[in-house]
Amino acid sequence: MGSILIVTEIQGGQIREASYELAAFANEVGAATGRDVHSLVAGKGAEALADEFSKKGGGSVHLVEGDVFENYNAEASAAAIKAAIEASGAELVLVSNTPSGWDVAPRVAAGLDAGFVSDCFKIEVEGDGVGFHRRVFNGKLDAHMTSSGGLIVATVQPGAANAFEGSTDGSVSKLDVNVGDLKTKFVEIKIAESKGVDLTKADVIIAGGRGVGAPEKFTEVVQPLAEILGGAMGASRPVVDAGWLPHEYQVGSSGQVVTPKLYIAVGISGAIQHLVGMKGSNYIIAINKDPDAPIFEVADLGVVGDLLEVIPALTAAVTEAKG
Amino acid sequence: MKIMVCLKQVPHKDARLDIGGDGTWIKEDGIKFEINSYDTYALEEALQVKDAEEAEVVVVSIGPDRVTQALRTALGMGADRAIHVNDDAMNGSDSLGIAKALAAVAKEENPDLVYMGLMSEDGNFAAVAPMLAELIGIPHTTAASNIERSAGSLTVDREIEGGAAEVVELQTPCLVAVQSGLNQVRYASLKGIMAAKKKPLDVKTVADLGLDGQVGAGAAKVQVAKIAPPVKGETAEILQGSNDEIVAGLVGKIKELGLL
Repeated sequence: MGSILIVTEIQGGQIREASYELAAFANEVGAATGRDVHSLVAGKGAEALADEFSKKGGGSVHLVEGDVFENYNAEASAAAIKAAIEASGAELVLVSNTPSGWDVAPRVAAGLDAGFVSDCFKIEVEGDGVGFHRRVFNGKLDAHMTSSGGLIVATVQPGAANAFEGSTDGSVSKLDVNVGDLKTKFVEIKIAESKGVDLTKADVIIAGGRGVGAPEKFTEVVQPLAEILGGAMGASRPVVDAGWLPHEYQVGSSGQVVTPKLYIAVGISGAIQHLVGMKGSNYIIAINKDPDAPIFEVADLGVVGDLLEVIPALTAAVTEAKG
Repeated sequence: MKIMVCLKQVPHKDARLDIGGDGTWIKEDGIKFEINSYDTYALEEALQVKDAEEAEVVVVSIGPDRVTQALRTALGMGADRAIHVNDDAMNGSDSLGIAKALAAVAKEENPDLVYMGLMSEDGNFAAVAPMLAELIGIPHTTAASNIERSAGSLTVDREIEGGAAEVVELQTPCLVAVQSGLNQVRYASLKGIMAAKKKPLDVKTVADLGLDGQVGAGAAKVQVAKIAPPVKGETAEILQGSNDEIVAGLVGKIKELGLL
């Protein structure tokens, strides 16, 4: 029976938490189906990391060393993963659905004519096989996917599982990979310039989405509430994409991740990329016309209604309460 | 310079999502469709290249008859030619099957650049772009938030976490899967829409592309067994009542949190 291969990711000199979450899924499925767990650690000077991972659920770790692995490179990464699949006899490959994960995993799958499922929040044993659960339609519906057998590459939503706990016996072996002539080159990382809107420091954030309807409504409706509560205004990605507000207002996986005391989401449906940016908030209130909007799943308190009526009324009531 | 733009026609963002008979997808009758928004940014990027220099923009899409509408819209925006892969044999394809069909078109077209969206807004798989690049043997990147072109290469900002970007250089020919918000997408002008009617729109079948047995449900390695509304664990307490009661409830909660 084929093994399970965990593809780890090194970030800031450490194997990131998301990789330990993969270890949790891998060991659970592995134990239930009698499959061995293997891992790939590719990096520069990563031997100690590989050793650590082998003792925390990584199983048989394949270490790929090289300068070319110091920074992410799609072609080099794909070559390393393919080599590890071969070396481990993997039938199920788990990759975290991070920017590098979603970049390389489909490429690997296509190169091996394998099945591919992405952004799974749950992977579980089903009869003889494995079932994959993920969201479709921007988070509005759940899809349960199955495979017809053979090699499957699956990316897993970071944060979907708790990190592997406990210590295990594992091993580390070196794997040589020939990456070939690369047509992709890492140049540099550009850090986001902070332009004065630091949402991570705000106690209260009022964030508006596409449902706000128009850019002037942010000024007329959303901003006043933020101001009267001494908070900051935020926005979901579609608002920024439409040019209604600049990028520094964006809350989400490619914007700012915030944890205020109070987060009020208005006219935001709650796509996963947005939820990632705010679900750690202390208290979440959501206002949306659609009772099925995914935002209500992370909110503590909700109003199904028209934000253009509710927010001005709330602003007035708060103003009055402040006397 | 030839740019191939792959686009998908998807249910409109606000379309009603009713689960269809066999429970594996939504009902398509009676809903509006639109070009997948991520793909519109890819098309706009290609059209901006065409504005700047001599380039041919070829749009490709896979799907039933309704997809013609999406392709005509793209032609109206300024694309030169369209290719419509229209064949029931494509039904039930997984991402790899879709990528194989697009690869077959790409092998005939030999584009210098392939632009498409990072993901579709119905399946959200984000799989076809890297797969297509692998199948045609060209380098790729995803989530592009900026693209600069030079002779023989592309320098692309690829969005990573925390609002940062990773800059990668790709030798051409290459494929870029674009992130939303890459640019401001143009509207088709009336003149453009009229001109679009005369632009070539070729229809291809699975047999034309030499893909018998490689696509469709029979070849798919993964399938949707079921879709359903999310199983909600804890969800929000929903405030009921008149607007006044709702506002009072909100004010009360804000006070409770010590923020008022």
